[in-house]
Amino acid sequence: MSIWRRILTTAGWSGLGVIAVAALLSEFLARNALGAVHAGPSLSPPSEQFPFGTDFLGRDLFSETLYGLSATVAQAGEAAVLAVLAGGLLGFVTAHLPRPSGAVLRWAIGTFAAIPPLLLAILVIAATTRGFAGLAAGLAAAPLAFVRAFDRARGENRSSHAAYARATGISASALLNRDLAYEFRDTFLPTVARALAAVAIILSTMSFLGFGAVPPHRDLGLMIAAAKGSYMQAWWTAAFPALALMAFVLLARLAAGLDEGERP
Amino acid sequence: MWRYALKEGGRWALALAGAFLIAVGISALSVAKGGYGPALAQRLLAFLRLDFGTSALSGQSAIRELAAHGPTTANLIAFGALIALALGVPLGLLLGTGAVRRATAPLIQIVSAAPVFCAGLALAYAARHIGFQESAAVFRALLLPSITVGLAGTAAVQVALRRAASQAQDSPFRVGLRRMGLTAIEIERVYVVPQIFAGLLSSLGEVMLALLSAAVVSEWVFKCPGIADLFVKSIALHDWNMAALILFVFAALTATAEFIGRIAARLLVRAAS
Repeated sequence: MSIWRRILTTAGWSGLGVIAVAALLSEFLARNALGAVHAGPSLSPPSEQFPFGTDFLGRDLFSETLYGLSATVAQAGEAAVLAVLAGGLLGFVTAHLPRPSGAVLRWAIGTFAAIPPLLLAILVIAATTRGFAGLAAGLAAAPLAFVRAFDRARGENRSSHAAYARATGISASALLNRDLAYEFRDTFLPTVARALAAVAIILSTMSFLGFGAVPPHRDLGLMIAAAKGSYMQAWWTAAFPALALMAFVLLARLAAGLDEGERP
Repeated sequence: MWRYALKEGGRWALALAGAFLIAVGISALSVAKGGYGPALAQRLLAFLRLDFGTSALSGQSAIRELAAHGPTTANLIAFGALIALALGVPLGLLLGTGAVRRATAPLIQIVSAAPVFCAGLALAYAARHIGFQESAAVFRALLLPSITVGLAGTAAVQVALRRAASQAQDSPFRVGLRRMGLTAIEIERVYVVPQIFAGLLSSLGEVMLALLSAAVVSEWVFKCPGIADLFVKSIALHDWNMAALILFVFAALTATAEFIGRIAARLLVRAAS
């Protein structure tokens, strides 16, 4: 890894740490209670008193953005863990299964990877309940993570070191344990960060479309959706939640070491 | 080549079969009151007879609904793909070289972090304040959604090209060709460029997935009555037959793009070598 890439990755993780602390301390950092209406005049532009302005109900957008970021980060954290377990880890283990069962699972889960994750997430929500947005986003991001992990592990499994190990009598389970340890060491953190970026986009888009967060618990996607009616006249109602969301996704992308434009 | 085509054809058929089974599974939710197992068998038989059921929203056959909404999405994706190629190819080739890439990387990273709905809203805001939206209805109807979809496709195209360019950069054949007396330009033109475009073609499935994902959000933001918008409405109102058919179409489009792309990439590399 180049020094420049290392600096960016460190910056990404540091930024995610700052966001996590801000999300944890949102109750203390926010100037108003969650959803407090008429904290100021309706649609007031950014000022000293209201750094992010106010929305049409006079809510302080600085406080609301902090609460929204906190909700998005919490849900994205849950969903990323699920995506890593049900996608990355399962894909890795499946690649070490005997060829027929591994191939069948790769085909079955690979089929889901051909469907846009957002549609899968919406489908899961429709079949369950809107309270399961984190679960839905995690499950929707899992097929792509599964396919990536499976293909990478299958490649390693066919490499010369694996062939030598098998020839010297090392069992398949010992080889799996060894590969898993290396996989965990080398790719765990980038995989988690990548999953964070992917599920943050899925979650916020779901909420934007009306399938995610349930009011009064507004995440950033729902805040931006609520601003749709007013942002043409009052840009700040959508801009600050969108910038917070972009900052979160950008930092997760940097932490994952993704190339410019690469899909998380 | 035939062996490769047969193998890829098999993969494509399996992908379509998988998408078909997923669609049957979703469609069975519409008749699952008497138990999911019997409903699954009933819908599987119906799907095999090409009976995709009726839309619970309109009462029309799901296929007819799909045909009514399909052209809007097809136009959106076609224009989006054109924009993606027009912007993504030069961008990918430019960014393949170190100096330009380093200079533009921060900006492209920031743009890549914007979810599609944010990009759509920003475009709508810009169009309104420039005065385009009032002057031409076509902006709202087609151009803005297409640009939104195109920008998402641009990212996928330039990444695929850049990945291929970076692989070609490290290929051992460059040294061999240089020793054979070929000039750098000849090597680039005859051998490297086809490799790079073959890389793009191999990633056609990924590009299609990016275009489809963006179309869903774009149709919602700009109120285009396409099939992606229909999917969101169908899901919201538990119209499972419609949702199943749309998911099948999307998965089939991605699988088909991947199949065509891989075959075309192979042909291109063979023609160049």
